[in-house]
Amino acid sequence: MDTALGEARERLLAKAKKEGLTTIGYDVLGSPLGPLWVAIGPKGVTTIHYGSEPSETELRRLVRVYGPGVVPDPKRSSALARELDQYFNGKRHEFDIDVDLSGLTPFQTKVLVATAKIPFGSVSTYGTVAKRAGNAKASRAAGGALNHNPIPIVVPCHRVVGSNGALVGYAGGLDTKRRLLAIEGADVSRRH
Amino acid sequence: MQNDPLTFGQLLERHERELFAYALRISGQRADAEDLYQDTFLAAFRAWPPPRRGNERAWLYKIATNRAIDRERRARRVVASVDDLALAATELDDVTLADLAGAIETLPAGQRAAFILRKVQGLAYVEIAVALECTEEAARARVSEALKKVKAAVA
Repeated sequence: MDTALGEARERLLAKAKKEGLTTIGYDVLGSPLGPLWVAIGPKGVTTIHYGSEPSETELRRLVRVYGPGVVPDPKRSSALARELDQYFNGKRHEFDIDVDLSGLTPFQTKVLVATAKIPFGSVSTYGTVAKRAGNAKASRAAGGALNHNPIPIVVPCHRVVGSNGALVGYAGGLDTKRRLLAIEGADVSRRH
Repeated sequence: MQNDPLTFGQLLERHERELFAYALRISGQRADAEDLYQDTFLAAFRAWPPPRRGNERAWLYKIATNRAIDRERRARRVVASVDDLALAATELDDVTLADLAGAIETLPAGQRAAFILRKVQGLAYVEIAVALECTEEAARARVSEALKKVKAAVA
């Protein structure tokens, strides 16, 4: 973007913010896994999406919870960018930044909360996560909830694998899941 | 075809560049153009959602044009910048840009907006009609009238 427009945009967004018209700030971060579209709301990180554009489903969730005031705001994501950088460089094992799971179903929220407790470098299974979310029989549904995890990496759904240790699936692609587990030095060859 | 914009950010990213260029062309000064760009998008955010889905571009031009005309009525001073009119000059042979700018400057605000929307921004008549809140025929008539005046002025 040229400078004149960039400066005009910055002033426009500052004014919109002052008027309370904006709620969520987003940016596209570079990462070893390619571009990440990230969004920060009043309560914390709402979204990390693989790619430079968010999904329509994700935008609809943000608008449902926070209204249409979703605007570009690179400054707002600087803390997240720093933590992600440290994580990718093997210098961070836990994220300190707050996450915001508003607008998800109660079951999906429970699944993601249970997932967030899996420590760095370990893996768990869909069955275990379902059980911790309060429904031991719902491992398939837990898989679905994890597949729609709006905050991958920080909510580490890559640490959830099949009962035989197979990686099974990942919204960012199995290769990405493998790379994340490799960063963490997780052993996924054995059964869990 | 792009999906309807769901957020302010999508509206901004899709249309801010051309609206900023339009603001520069219609107001002629960087500071005024910035104000116009800012006013236009703030007004759009406040009035959200866009009144007709799929027609956001024309809606933004309408807001910008109305504000530009209001400003001009207050300030009695709007000049399209000479450089920005280079595109508009292509239809008119042997005319200097200074002549053209002078001619456009003398047009009434509505006709000048119509001229710039069509000849510089390249909007379709159906979009100009939305931007100027008139029928498509009236938009054609305004552009044609403006063109006639500009040609006469530079002849």
